[in-house]
Amino acid sequence: MATGAVPAEGGGYTGPVETSALLDPRLLIVTGKGGVGKSTVAAAVALASARQGARTCLVEVEGRHIFSRLFDTQAWDFTEREFRSGLWGMSIDPEASLREYLDMFYGARRLSRLVASSSAVEFATTAAPGIKDVLLIGKAKELERRRNPDGRFCYDLVVLDAPPTGRIVNFLRAPDVTTELVNVGPIRQQAQSLIDMLSDHRRTNLLLVTMLEEMPVAETLDSAAALRGLGVAIGPVLVNRVLAERTDKAASKAMAELSAADLQALLVTAGVELDAEAATALLDAGAASTKRLQLQRRQRNQLGKQLQVPTLELPYVYSERFSADELGILASVIERAVEG
Amino acid sequence: MSRALDAARQHDLSTVVDTRHVIVCTGPGGVGKTTTAASLALGAAARGRRTIVLTIDPARRLAQSLGLGKLDNQPRPVKGVDGLDAMMLDMKRTFDEVIDRHASDPARAQRIKTNRFYRQMSGSLAGTQEYMAMEKLYDLHSTGGYDCIVIDTPPTRNALDFLDAPRRLTDFLEGRFLKMFLAPGMAAGKLATRAAGFGAGLFMRAASRLTGQAVLGDLAEFFQSFEGMYDGFKNRAQAVYHLLQQPTSAFVVVATGEVPALREARFFLQRLESDGMPTAGLVVNRVTPPPPAGLAAVTPQAARAAAATLEQDGPESRAAAALLRLHAGRVEVAQRERHAIAAALHGIDPRALVQVPLMATDVYDLPGLTAIGQHLYS
Repeated sequence: MATGAVPAEGGGYTGPVETSALLDPRLLIVTGKGGVGKSTVAAAVALASARQGARTCLVEVEGRHIFSRLFDTQAWDFTEREFRSGLWGMSIDPEASLREYLDMFYGARRLSRLVASSSAVEFATTAAPGIKDVLLIGKAKELERRRNPDGRFCYDLVVLDAPPTGRIVNFLRAPDVTTELVNVGPIRQQAQSLIDMLSDHRRTNLLLVTMLEEMPVAETLDSAAALRGLGVAIGPVLVNRVLAERTDKAASKAMAELSAADLQALLVTAGVELDAEAATALLDAGAASTKRLQLQRRQRNQLGKQLQVPTLELPYVYSERFSADELGILASVIERAVEG
Repeated sequence: MSRALDAARQHDLSTVVDTRHVIVCTGPGGVGKTTTAASLALGAAARGRRTIVLTIDPARRLAQSLGLGKLDNQPRPVKGVDGLDAMMLDMKRTFDEVIDRHASDPARAQRIKTNRFYRQMSGSLAGTQEYMAMEKLYDLHSTGGYDCIVIDTPPTRNALDFLDAPRRLTDFLEGRFLKMFLAPGMAAGKLATRAAGFGAGLFMRAASRLTGQAVLGDLAEFFQSFEGMYDGFKNRAQAVYHLLQQPTSAFVVVATGEVPALREARFFLQRLESDGMPTAGLVVNRVTPPPPAGLAAVTPQAARAAAATLEQDGPESRAAAALLRLHAGRVEVAQRERHAIAAALHGIDPRALVQVPLMATDVYDLPGLTAIGQHLYS
């Protein structure tokens, strides 16, 4: 049984989080290079958590409507809805967060109406340095801290599908930027409470999603270095779309030596007739796949050597379409990992 | 399959690299925009055109292969390629240049550049990256002496920001909100209670309760320094927008065969259409090509059934079985991608549709870019 991240002496870098502790924090911030399947993996993590019996809230912040399509539900909005047993979903937009914040903390309906009607909203949510991100993280914190009347937390786990790695450092630094600019007052207090949440390794872990290819791995390594500098605990790295290794070494060796004529002859015994061109094309596809597997192994070594964080590999799913069923396959892999 | 799609498949980007002056590569993050841009630039240079590729944040190895060791906002010749320069956009420096150009005097420019808000904002303001990319593009267009400028856009949320950002930035800078700060009485960083009217006064009181007065003072100073510069910003944004609309410009939308990427590509193609921007084509990277005719006759089901019968025998039979299963998976993925592409392009004419197969190795060097080029323009 792993215990989650342990703050290292002097803060900053934290010890590795075992994959079995993947779902232990209260807030998981999921990021990754564009195109690696960050949102898909965030959804799989949330689904796995809910299946494990934890009340889970999956949150999107960029309004891309990926989850409603993936789970085949109505469009998501600022209201949390339970769309699977134990699994809620919502879409945070900064404007709604700002209004909610003003209402909640100042009871200032008049003020919030005034603010909403002016281009101050435009300023606060699109232009002011970091304010938009502070509002998004602020809402995540509200979900993370919210309690039922009996005093227990409303959600066991909040999964935030965060901006991609290219923007994640600015996103997570937003509360710091705010405290640099704003020295006093409630906004500063709010920003400070977000910093406290993000740097508490038992509450918040960051999950990096990657693929075993050159550029995603390089970007993951760069991001991990930058994120450690921020003092955010990095959970297990989730490696998406991993091609199944060929375990049959003898067959792999035979494949490399097979000629088109050999292949044609073998396939005829199984009732498949191919012309020479087709047999050659099949062998070429096999050779290309061998190369990609080698590339994958190289990148796996690279990632393991440089990052020194446990990884969890999720399989590439061959299917005619990617839907909730395929997501279930990924969720099962995560469940097996946390069950140990 | 629609006729427009069939026609688009017959076209590639040869005429684009042959003739267009500005080529904008756009699309969601992680689909190979930078690689596509670099490859197109290589093609234009190979045709004897003086070319520059302007890139925002290339992967390190790709940057190295283009000779971009550092982020310094200077065009650098690409080693081994005649007539090709490459340049990496330094946001902060470009913003500083913009301030220098538009400010009425050096003292004012200096005041802006040392303001706390400016220092934070120039890195994080939504749309800044897009605006600066446009700025640089226009700069290279008007003074660079290039025949062809290829630019890859920042990985924005939905790629539309690239077109909207300049307008939004200028709208914001001259907006109503701003006027509250520019109201008399704010000059010394004091709160305007009367001068800016009741609404503004209430807002300022509330705002100062939330943040303290010092922040508002900084903010006011920042906006006041900007006063008089808005026209310059706005004219420039309009000039860039106009340049992009010219038939000598070309937008190349880049995606992969995955549904979310294609959905964003569709959205952007629609937007280009409605803005009257010259769309040149859709590039779909990393696709699984359909098998040749003789192999295509073997359905995934038949392949898996045959694989099952070969499974129990010697290594060679098992190798054949593995190849059959690989084939079955590839056919299914190719199918999924074909459907996704057709769905994304329903009712849309992308002009050219180029599918670049997934390479056996990652692309980050000149030979790799040349290999990609074979698919983009042959």
